[in-house]
Amino acid sequence: MQAIILFGVLASTYLMVIAKRTPALIRYFRYQSFFLFLATFAVAIEERQIDLYIIAGLLFVIKVCAIPYFLNRIIKRMKVSEDLGLFVNAQLSLLCVLGFTYLSWVFAERILAPRNEAQAIMLAVAFFVVLAGMFLMVFRMTALAQIIGLLVMENGLFLLASTVSGGMPFFVEIAIFFDVFVSVIIMGFFVYRINKLFTHIDVNKLSRLKG
Amino acid sequence: MQIFFILAIPIFLAAGAFLIGKQKIFCTLNAIGYLAVLVASVMLLRKMVLSESANSYFSFIYFDALSAFFIFVISVIAFAAALYSISYIKKDIDSGVISERKAKIYYILFNLFCFSMLLVPAVNNLGMLWVAIEMTTLISAFLVGFYNNKESIEAAWKYIIICSVGIIFALLGTILFSYAFSLLGDVKSLNWSDMVANAGRMDKNILKIAFIFILVGYGTKAGLAPMHTWLPDAHSQAVAPISALLSGVLLKTAIYAILRFGIITIKGVGFAYFGNLMVLLGIISLAISCGFILVQKDLKRLLAYHSIEHIGIISIGFGIGGILGVGGALLHVFNHAVTKALMFFGAGNVVNKYRTHNMHVIRGVIGTMPFTGFMLLMGAFALAGMPPFSIFISEILIICAVFLKGYYLVTFLLLGFIAIIFGAVVHHFSKILFGSIPKGMSVVKEPLSGKMAFLFLFVQICALGIVLPFIKKDLIWMVQKLFQG
Repeated sequence: MQAIILFGVLASTYLMVIAKRTPALIRYFRYQSFFLFLATFAVAIEERQIDLYIIAGLLFVIKVCAIPYFLNRIIKRMKVSEDLGLFVNAQLSLLCVLGFTYLSWVFAERILAPRNEAQAIMLAVAFFVVLAGMFLMVFRMTALAQIIGLLVMENGLFLLASTVSGGMPFFVEIAIFFDVFVSVIIMGFFVYRINKLFTHIDVNKLSRLKG
Repeated sequence: MQIFFILAIPIFLAAGAFLIGKQKIFCTLNAIGYLAVLVASVMLLRKMVLSESANSYFSFIYFDALSAFFIFVISVIAFAAALYSISYIKKDIDSGVISERKAKIYYILFNLFCFSMLLVPAVNNLGMLWVAIEMTTLISAFLVGFYNNKESIEAAWKYIIICSVGIIFALLGTILFSYAFSLLGDVKSLNWSDMVANAGRMDKNILKIAFIFILVGYGTKAGLAPMHTWLPDAHSQAVAPISALLSGVLLKTAIYAILRFGIITIKGVGFAYFGNLMVLLGIISLAISCGFILVQKDLKRLLAYHSIEHIGIISIGFGIGGILGVGGALLHVFNHAVTKALMFFGAGNVVNKYRTHNMHVIRGVIGTMPFTGFMLLMGAFALAGMPPFSIFISEILIICAVFLKGYYLVTFLLLGFIAIIFGAVVHHFSKILFGSIPKGMSVVKEPLSGKMAFLFLFVQICALGIVLPFIKKDLIWMVQKLFQG
């Protein structure tokens, strides 16, 4: 079961890296969050903890439903081009990300001293998701892609936290969820502003401030 | 007990800003509120130093001398900024740059921003520390993009994105710290006090890696080069009182977070690892800021690069350690905050009057605004590290510490960069302060509340340059004990 979920997380991350249009990226982000939800839910059933049920519920409501809905609404309302603006084409991106997969495996196995094989794989996947999120932030040009990249990094951290220490303390987890949600809303607000003032959301062209 | 007053007052003031319609009444109330916060923080600091112990409430709030000191610095600058806001916001309303409603939003955000900064040194849980620092970013992004023009929105976007990525790395570091702690198999906890007690038994390799992530993550927020790229944009575009808060204390809250994790690292892997990394980043920050200060054209960006320089010096001070290094760095945290706030207030007045940031256009500030001009002149010398001002004392302490530790190359670089920056500062400020007054500029009378803010800060710059208020078992001695392995 766990293997299937991890495979799902990996596959949806690869799909995100080769996506060329923003709605596709958001859809794959939704898949990834859904797999995270499944992972948390599975642990919750196993351990019978009310905290974990609440966290899984929040994950579903915020990351699977609310945030993708909100991002889709921004796209509809702004009527900007749906093209992501790839610095690096899809094939090369995929190659880079495969390299990241190997690196995170090496990092997880050699440095973090995992207890067993299963934990090593989970650590590697978590680090890989963080790296892939960073890749998206750096090599995609629109402001929306940067927001999604940030969310992907955050997903990776969630996976990491649940792997290494059985999750953060409950109220910290809740605070982080709230924080992520608020930051997405605030960033969305700034994307509106950028679109209004500059009539585009290509962050590569934001270059008034220099030196 | 005082800590609850300190945290509650900004919340009440934020609610007050929301409810009270009249700006004129509220801005005075705001300043009085922060005076109360300042008094409470002085009492807290005194209590912490005299009792020589750490306090905690419900295992959520925890503070010792180090926290009390940072809370004190934050409340000094917050009070000065509240005082300066009175005249600055009034001027903006009168000249039609912002509406009354926008001024109301300003005060709500100002108070929430101060609350989030005051929360950072008070929490015990390292996850909550992360949440509080992320909160400061989210709230201040609105204050950076406050004027809603192309430049400020660009600055706000870069600020929020770069700091969010940075802070994600900090969260990664935090998770790794909790991983190292959980490997011990005792209790599941993210509390700093629990971790530091068990630091000696944690896995050394994981601690090392985790601290690098923390340094990159919170270092982004602290403005340590090469992760500083958001800083000049955000500082130059924010509202002037907010620039002072950003530069004076927001960077320091991130330094505080680094120190908290640093203390765990020191106890776990020894001082040299922590020290070398801090010194390295400090030198890089000095080098990069030095270059940009020399060629700078924009007044507020010039001051922003100065913040990077001084953060570099602070990080070198903590990296060297010992009573001289830590003491110098602590004093520098305070001195830089006060001096930089004074300079940003001055720059705010100049920019308001000349309607430009460009230092090639601004001329004869002493002539048009005698009071602000004089303060800027004194502040520029203080910032560059001239005696008898306070920054001189803290810089010389840090330089002594570096030299005594036998880091001759670092001493050489530190002195060299400080000398170059001194020249650049004198050059830039003599150009804008003196010279003929541009045509059509009249001499203006400055409002009393604005002057009060300047004088409040200036007295502290002078006083700490002449007297060092040390007693035998004092604050610095207590804090440097924390940094021993």
